[in-house]
Amino acid sequence: MASADKLINTYVPEKDVFALHFLQSLSNLRTQNPLNSPDKSIDRVRKIKKAAYVSMARAAGGTSRLWSRALLRRAAKDDNKSVRFSRRKRKVTWKISSKRKRSNQRAPVVEEAAERLRNLVPGGGGMETSKLMEETAHYIKCLSMQVKVMQCLVDGLSPK
Amino acid sequence: MSSSRRSRQASSSSRISDDQITDLISKLRQSIPEIRQNRRSNTVSASKVLQETCNYIRNLNKEADDLSDRLTQLLESIDPNSPQAAVIRSLING
Repeated sequence: MASADKLINTYVPEKDVFALHFLQSLSNLRTQNPLNSPDKSIDRVRKIKKAAYVSMARAAGGTSRLWSRALLRRAAKDDNKSVRFSRRKRKVTWKISSKRKRSNQRAPVVEEAAERLRNLVPGGGGMETSKLMEETAHYIKCLSMQVKVMQCLVDGLSPK
Repeated sequence: MSSSRRSRQASSSSRISDDQITDLISKLRQSIPEIRQNRRSNTVSASKVLQETCNYIRNLNKEADDLSDRLTQLLESIDPNSPQAAVIRSLING
């Protein structure tokens, strides 16, 4: 049954890698926007949320994952910057045009659920279903790690 | 502390362990090749797995939202002389 296909790699770094990246981006926010700046509260929340997602993408491997590349690209576009991609060793062959997805070998009910998943995972739109699964597994692990880090920070900062 | 209650409730129920993730992956892998042959059994578990995954991601996004909110409030109101501020300072600079 198990053909000699490549192992799904879902290695995720330790929690402190995520924590470090997040704290660094928080401190960058602090230096850019001193506390008494005229930012509205909702803008501050948005900035912190964005810092969380961007630092998560960086901690998880930056441009080496499709979802993190898509996330960083989206964030950079917001800031009118461009993302620098490191040279990939192998040619990327997973991305296919969304107009011509590989013929649906999967049952329609699976494809329907996969479609919903595509909207949730960054960069999911162009992925073939099996690649989507792999990216999702990694994304979930990283997202839950990031949430743990934020929870710890909130717990640490809350008045006793 | 309604906001902390909100996030604490969500966190205890929706945290998936590493074992479950591995299980999820193997289930996903099973669903991928040759669904034609075992249409019924594989199809049902596959779409359920995907559905659960969608819900899980949505929950995580919501938790991240709540925590961002809370974190912003805490950072804004932090007294620079409090022990918490000292902890943050040492974490950021150290």
